[in-house]
Amino acid sequence: MEEVRIGVYVCNCGTNIAKVVDCDAICASLSKMPNVAVARTYKYMCSTPGQEMIVEDIRKNNLNRVVVAACSPRMHERTFRKALQTAGINPYFFEMANIREQCSWVHENEETATAKAEALTRAAILRVAHHEPLENLYADMCPSTLVLGGGIAGLSAALELAESGHPVFLVEKTDRLGGNLARVDLTAPHLYSARDLLTDRIARVRANPYVQLMLESELKSLSGFVGNFTAIVGAAKKNGDPHKEHVLEVGSVVVCTGYKEFDAGRVTHFGYGKLPNVVTSFEFEKMLREGNIRTKEGRIPEYFAIVHCVGSRSRDFHGYCSRVCCMTALKYAHEIKSAIPNSYVSDLYIDMHAFGKGHEDFYRGSSEAKTLFLMYGKNEHPVIKRAQPGEESEMLIEVNEQLSGETIEIPADMVILMVGMEARSESGDVARLVNISQDKDGWYIESHPKLDPVATTTEGIFIAGTCAAPKDIPDTVAQARAAAARILGRIAKQKIEIDAVFAEVDEDLCSGCRVCNSLCPYSAVEFDEEKKRSRVNSALCKACGACVAACPSCAIKARHFTDRQIFAQIEGVLR
Amino acid sequence: MSPEKLQIALYWGAACGGCDVAVLDTNEFILDVAAAADIRLWPIAVDGKYKDVEKMQDGELDAAFYNGAVRNSENEHIARLLRQKSKILVAFGSCSHMGGIPGLANFTSKDKILDTAYLNNPSIEPGNKTVPVPETKIGDDETLDIPEFYDQVYKLDDVVDVDYYLPGCPPAPHQVKAVLLAVVKGELPPKGSVVGAADFAVCEDCKREKKEKKVTRFYRPWEIIQDPTQCLMDQGILCLGPATRSGCGVRCPDTGQGCRGCYGPLPGVVDHGAKSLSAVASIVDGKTPEEIRGILKGIPDFAAIAYRFGAPASLMKRNEKQ
Repeated sequence: MEEVRIGVYVCNCGTNIAKVVDCDAICASLSKMPNVAVARTYKYMCSTPGQEMIVEDIRKNNLNRVVVAACSPRMHERTFRKALQTAGINPYFFEMANIREQCSWVHENEETATAKAEALTRAAILRVAHHEPLENLYADMCPSTLVLGGGIAGLSAALELAESGHPVFLVEKTDRLGGNLARVDLTAPHLYSARDLLTDRIARVRANPYVQLMLESELKSLSGFVGNFTAIVGAAKKNGDPHKEHVLEVGSVVVCTGYKEFDAGRVTHFGYGKLPNVVTSFEFEKMLREGNIRTKEGRIPEYFAIVHCVGSRSRDFHGYCSRVCCMTALKYAHEIKSAIPNSYVSDLYIDMHAFGKGHEDFYRGSSEAKTLFLMYGKNEHPVIKRAQPGEESEMLIEVNEQLSGETIEIPADMVILMVGMEARSESGDVARLVNISQDKDGWYIESHPKLDPVATTTEGIFIAGTCAAPKDIPDTVAQARAAAARILGRIAKQKIEIDAVFAEVDEDLCSGCRVCNSLCPYSAVEFDEEKKRSRVNSALCKACGACVAACPSCAIKARHFTDRQIFAQIEGVLR
Repeated sequence: MSPEKLQIALYWGAACGGCDVAVLDTNEFILDVAAAADIRLWPIAVDGKYKDVEKMQDGELDAAFYNGAVRNSENEHIARLLRQKSKILVAFGSCSHMGGIPGLANFTSKDKILDTAYLNNPSIEPGNKTVPVPETKIGDDETLDIPEFYDQVYKLDDVVDVDYYLPGCPPAPHQVKAVLLAVVKGELPPKGSVVGAADFAVCEDCKREKKEKKVTRFYRPWEIIQDPTQCLMDQGILCLGPATRSGCGVRCPDTGQGCRGCYGPLPGVVDHGAKSLSAVASIVDGKTPEEIRGILKGIPDFAAIAYRFGAPASLMKRNEKQ
């Protein structure tokens, strides 16, 4: 075997590390370890000169292993692996010791922090000696995409992909396209007609030869991995034709399954369902679309009250803000005033959330249009009661107005409850089918909330729109098109790169006990019934190690996390 | 003693005698062994004294089979003696391989064991204060010696260099026969090998059908009417088969008992009990800590189950000051 020659680099990170850890002392001490050929400190190892130092040392000193003691590997492991690659050695001959986040940032005592940093670096040195060269794998990328949901998100994603010339299967559960947006009249703040926003897109989707539209259908199963999924789509209805199942080969899936509105019946104190003219925002939206705002009794109402945050931002129901209701409420005020100019509109809110582009202007416009804004407390609620016969309105609303500090009674002929968004009841089934996770409220979880908002932890599965969290139309469309862009990037590459670090099953050692089968959070472990052996799909594997630890026969091994490497590391820390 | 015959010895250290019975369980084959070999020491069946062994030349024996753990000074003395006198030393059975059932004593201490055995126990004559000690004075110039009881139990290779390991509690007779034949024919694998066992787990040989494992309740075998065609673990009956070398002939699972792990870990496994724990923990299907705790309550004394045969071979080191 080739002699192991390790280069060790201890980063000062400006003063981030050097302030607490004596980098020079560590360097001097570790340079005496066997196999350490070079040991240096430097101000910023991640800088270009820092990386060049490594490349030059590898070439000049014939290094075949590199250890950098610096920040978290999540920060710069890739940077340094690249440097090794540049110098012509396998990037996996590298190990990083985290002496910043796990050391200098969390300790004050110089002496003990230095001892700990030295132990962590020593562990990395002992580990790296056992590293093996690894190569990434490649798989084909199927250019077809499955889009689940025919609302504005699904339509946008499908169009982006199909208009680039790639096949799309657009699966919609109901018999029409448009989703929740099709139930809306005008949209805030520009008062564009939702119908106009949709019809153009629906027409384009229907006309595009690359889109195969599958109405009244749903996903039945999904198997395979990124670039190579097999989806079975069948009739959405229980009594649908079971023979009409389609087996589709797709490379990616965009989940755009949207939201459902909060059930106002769950809130008892607003009298919804008991008082005839207490309606939800969606019921009122229908009146607007039909151009016919009437009470149940057929009268044109004179006094309107709009109540915000029904089911949202509440201890008892949903803790989150549904984001679109405030602006929709203001839109109602606009539409009411233009439909019934002599009417009075009261707007009962907790906080006015007008964070979007143009929303503050829209809010100001509503104030100028003489909407009466009344602020109520977050964990209180306005009380709605029937008025006595002979009063000028049908209902009276009592509210503890926060800004004036007074209890105010306002008249109302019609009360509009701004119901929030919630995750669809079947969202859990979809999550299981495509193997993505949900948060405590049922929304799908993104790969990274800030840096990777449309990807999920399952490669090749994307989420867009309100299935991930409440959001308005511009955000939904942006997400849908972002997901499409991610997919188009992969299609352009034609190949899927599979990380070299994954778990493997040694078929000679596997006894087929199936202890590992239900563990994998990414569904990468399969059981071969014929061979009676478990198998790890390397494309799905994220190298978490759950199956490796569980395997009672040590038949499953994780590349880059072998027992020998880990034991060497432990030894280094304990020495 | 004839020079052309193989010279062998069989010995029991801290053992129950089951390993010797396993040798006898080879039935008439033992007569072939006797025909091919001189059995120079075998306390259970053949006459032969320690002093005879002491007189032998180094390496005079071709093979010695040591069963039982090393728990006292006599066990250690004979282990060293046989090592010296024999060309090949085989650790025979779980106790010499991994410490075995006597090794469970490593969960407690010598003092506690003697206390329970001689001083504080309902079955002991009240007021007894006599505890065995290595030397007892009898009269003025006579002492009575008994072996010293160690504070912990050792597996054979903690004390001497071992050539081969034949696992099992006891080893299956067909494996004993195969290994004896291999010794007679001189067909042995590289030194340090485990012989008379497979390099894969019991599940490979177990005919029961295995499914994805999710256990919501553990049962003792008598608590459930089991389906004889289905995997025991799938039915909630604890079985160490997935973590244990095969070669036994699936003796326990075939009779409806979970594998007890006597054949020891698979090659490459550092700690048998820890691996078993890891496997069992992986299939417990509970969502909350309380639920999981509830499910695990179905396994009494898991440490003793996981390390039933291998506490002295585990990574756990005893605190000497205990």
